[in-house]
Amino acid sequence: MRKIIPIIAAALLIVSACSSIDCPLNNLVYTSYDIYGADGRRDTLRDTLTISTNRSDGSDSVLINRDTRITGFSLPMSLSHPQDVFFVEVKGENSITYDTLTVSKEDLPHFESVDCGPSFFHTITAVECTDNAIDSVVINNPNVDYDTSKKHFRIYFKHRD
Amino acid sequence: MTLQRNISEYISSIAISLLMLAAAHPAAAQRKDTALKNDSVPLFNGMAVAVDLVGPVQMAIGDYGQYEASLRVNLKDRYFPVIELGVGRADYTDDVTQTSYKTSAPFGRIGIDFNLLKDKHDIYKLFAGVRYAFTSFKYDLGHPGVSDPVWGDTAPYEAKDVDCSYHWLEFGIGVDAKIWGPVHMGWSLRYRKRASYDDGRLGKSWYVPGYGRSDGSAFGGLFNIAIEI
Repeated sequence: MRKIIPIIAAALLIVSACSSIDCPLNNLVYTSYDIYGADGRRDTLRDTLTISTNRSDGSDSVLINRDTRITGFSLPMSLSHPQDVFFVEVKGENSITYDTLTVSKEDLPHFESVDCGPSFFHTITAVECTDNAIDSVVINNPNVDYDTSKKHFRIYFKHRD
Repeated sequence: MTLQRNISEYISSIAISLLMLAAAHPAAAQRKDTALKNDSVPLFNGMAVAVDLVGPVQMAIGDYGQYEASLRVNLKDRYFPVIELGVGRADYTDDVTQTSYKTSAPFGRIGIDFNLLKDKHDIYKLFAGVRYAFTSFKYDLGHPGVSDPVWGDTAPYEAKDVDCSYHWLEFGIGVDAKIWGPVHMGWSLRYRKRASYDDGRLGKSWYVPGYGRSDGSAFGGLFNIAIEI
């Protein structure tokens, strides 16, 4: 009996030394946009799409560079700005149209473990846009987190020939 | 996780098998006569207060740990209702992520131990027990600031007084031995199972007073010094 107890103790202490950490691979979360046509149906944007934003130091950062024939796209969110402003360029065969997309949001630090890198989740509170190529943008799911299956926005483009 | 769970189940089955073997050990048979004597032990057969030494050692050599004490009632040398109270603390900054986590809060457990030995009056006791445990705590999160990879500025990453609560069960085995006079020494190994919990508005908690690391092993241990009163 007295020989067995230390064996049990040793076995369980070995097991107790195990731990698991599930840190996410990417600390940056993205918003997902699904493209819709003027008729309200999912659509493919045949024009060339470029989206950029202004960095805090005043320089430009191109987030999507000349994508064509897309049905949706993803954009990052800033970690601490109350609003993110995106400049949307839609280039057709004969014309270029510019729109400005403004997303208002709240930022919340997200904590997994001290062993994991810091990250932020966001709650989208409003979205506004100019209406040159874009008809409207609607919030579909306001919570931006690690769930990449969520579609956060529906972006409706105007009919173009 | 699956591999760890399989290992845990494997070790648990070995432990149970060894316990069953222990019950059939010849030494137990030698004490058979004593066990069969009429039980003249009163229902209330004393109390013992105990302190745990594992938590303070954890605290001394690491960044988290707990101080805890227990009061155990002896009912007929067979049943031992127990209350355990303590304070858990963590103050840790990870060198790599630079994230700091700080908390300090009380916790409590209530449950019962059963003396498994046939000769329940022996100075050695082998216990199996169960506990219900609870803690409500707040933690502070700190970081020098996160550099935004797209916009380029630095975002504050900190929070104060994040409210959390944990309810959990503990299943354990342990031994207790009379060392000298009223002084006893013993240890217990615990398997913890969360019943319900609120990890707070930031997602998760890291160290939970009385429970340990929320991402750590479900197993833990205590080493007790007890005095009969």
